[in-house]
Amino acid sequence: MLRVGLPRALLYHKYHVLWTTFLHECGFGTVVSPPTNRRILERGVALAVDESCLSMKVFLGHADALTGRCDVLFVPRHESYERGEQLCVKFMATYDIVRNTLPDLSLITYNVDVHRGVDERRSMIAMARSLGVRAGVARRAHAHAVTAHHAHEVELARLQQSVAEAPRQGELRVLVVGHSYNLSDRLIGEPILAYLRALDVEVFTSDEVDKAAARRTASAISPTMKWRYNKELLGAVDLYRGLVDGIVFVVTFPCGPDSLMSEFCSRRVTGIPMTTLVLDELFGEAGVRTRLESFVDVVRERRRREQLRDVGP
Amino acid sequence: MSERLVTFPHMGEYWIAFETLTHELGATALVPPPMTKRTLELGARHSPEFVCVPFKYNLGTFVEALEAGANVIAQAGGGCRFGYYAEVQQAILRDLGHQFEMVNITGSWSVWELLNDFRGIAPGVSMPRVVRAFALALRKGKALEAAEDRVRKNVGFEAERGAHRRVMTRFLRDLRSAGGFRDIARLEERVLGELSAIPLDEPERRLRVGVVGELFILMDPYSNHDFERKLAEHRVEVHRSITMTRVIEHGVRSRPHLRALLREADPWLKHHLGADGTESVAMTWRLMNDGFDGMAHLKPFGCMPEVSAMSALQRISREHTFPVLFVSYDAQTAETGIRTRVEAFCDMLHMRAKESIRA
Repeated sequence: MLRVGLPRALLYHKYHVLWTTFLHECGFGTVVSPPTNRRILERGVALAVDESCLSMKVFLGHADALTGRCDVLFVPRHESYERGEQLCVKFMATYDIVRNTLPDLSLITYNVDVHRGVDERRSMIAMARSLGVRAGVARRAHAHAVTAHHAHEVELARLQQSVAEAPRQGELRVLVVGHSYNLSDRLIGEPILAYLRALDVEVFTSDEVDKAAARRTASAISPTMKWRYNKELLGAVDLYRGLVDGIVFVVTFPCGPDSLMSEFCSRRVTGIPMTTLVLDELFGEAGVRTRLESFVDVVRERRRREQLRDVGP
Repeated sequence: MSERLVTFPHMGEYWIAFETLTHELGATALVPPPMTKRTLELGARHSPEFVCVPFKYNLGTFVEALEAGANVIAQAGGGCRFGYYAEVQQAILRDLGHQFEMVNITGSWSVWELLNDFRGIAPGVSMPRVVRAFALALRKGKALEAAEDRVRKNVGFEAERGAHRRVMTRFLRDLRSAGGFRDIARLEERVLGELSAIPLDEPERRLRVGVVGELFILMDPYSNHDFERKLAEHRVEVHRSITMTRVIEHGVRSRPHLRALLREADPWLKHHLGADGTESVAMTWRLMNDGFDGMAHLKPFGCMPEVSAMSALQRISREHTFPVLFVSYDAQTAETGIRTRVEAFCDMLHMRAKESIRA
């Protein structure tokens, strides 16, 4: 059985259900790299071009961690999911970056560029076919994978929405906005979410919102922003701004799309405290904690005053 | 609104073509003041911290143009962060209290849409007039590029220092006032003749270096600290294939162009990297195989398409022992640093050339 290696980084965090369902139903085994640890990060930093974003460095560390542990490495290439829409250009380059950085690995890939007429379904099926999977099996695998992926996404959004609509569990509610590959990362996002919870904050994430609704509302707020995943973040801000007391942006240095989107947000979304945490490979947990603590203090103070005002003199 | 005073970002000497375009469309151009340290300071002060540096130069240019009285800003866009510049810059400038209209010329890259976007500069202008304005501006761009290409290749060998610059100064002045296609053609012929007549102090063998990278930094000598001239001054023939008019041509015919680039870059890339990344790899590979002595790769710090290209360029450089100088620009980049790196790079190239002659 072919063992397919999946780096636990970048779009894995978004499409793991789609990918693993598809690969398993095609009859392949999968090996996923372990959650990010210091060693993986260090390997990634050593392998990557210096100016790559932290998330790409993490990805290369994961790809490297799978060397010798799988038969082929699975590195899809994504350019666009809709006409007139884009993704961050690093997703266009991921496959070639891995090929040039780790030339000894054998890769399998599929390409999604709906803007140029290359759709996900045909590409994934073609990839499976090239590995000897029968057409019928590949088609069925894809159909099942898509169903499972959507069910997963819908469930995440539904769960979070129901919590948001339920009475408050903690004193404060904060929306953490960041790409799924950052928020779900063991070293990058998870400690931030955990620390906020430790500060008695009820945490919501941009990852668990209705993505299609988020993209629609984002297009209305910022018509020329073309990045699909950033639309989801901007839309999440709009969908949740009335339900939370503060917003924390988690950005990996030097993320191109986020550099502009968070600027736009801070100028056009007003009336709610916001802060941006920019993380690079040198970040220390103490610094992040201090920033979060002071932000939570601000949010708490603001909420206390609002409550006093609501009660009236 | 009173008279429309249209401004645009600075990039090299292309303001001459933008001015012509605006004028031919029937609006008045307000050429922004030449970029200075202040431009970048203004831009950096009001920009997001780690946005790529062209954003900061553009923003600073706009502030200075607005101060000078502009009330319409024309901003272009591209297939990376550049595509989102206009909207964010508009938000920043409005928050600073400026009153203006932003015309977004992204064109979505078909000739028709591009021409249609130009109409935003002078609303109500007829399509035939837009076509003529665009053609004339493009022609000026071509003439400018033909002359600059010649200068890049020869200025390092001029026998009398400043000879090229003298010819170019007069040419730029005349190009600005040239009114028709025939005038531009005559001017181009004249300047190429004059440039050819400049006496050169030829070495036995010329070192040839190609320059690739992100388009703004590549084409704007102010923000790249006159990189090409510094390179040429070390007796190097400098080649650059990316020019404004080619970017436009490739943009409107992107599919065949990308296919051709990918065919060329095939050993290193299977897919397009976005913006100019693919071109950087294809050109480096082509020039290396043409026997060039080295390449320089220029980009703003953090420019993702070019960072992606670097993974291929570093591999080409490593596997073929081919010298590539990587230069990143941000708001803190100092001229001295660039000078030193160019000098060291050129010394190394000259040494390599000598060794290969001996061997």
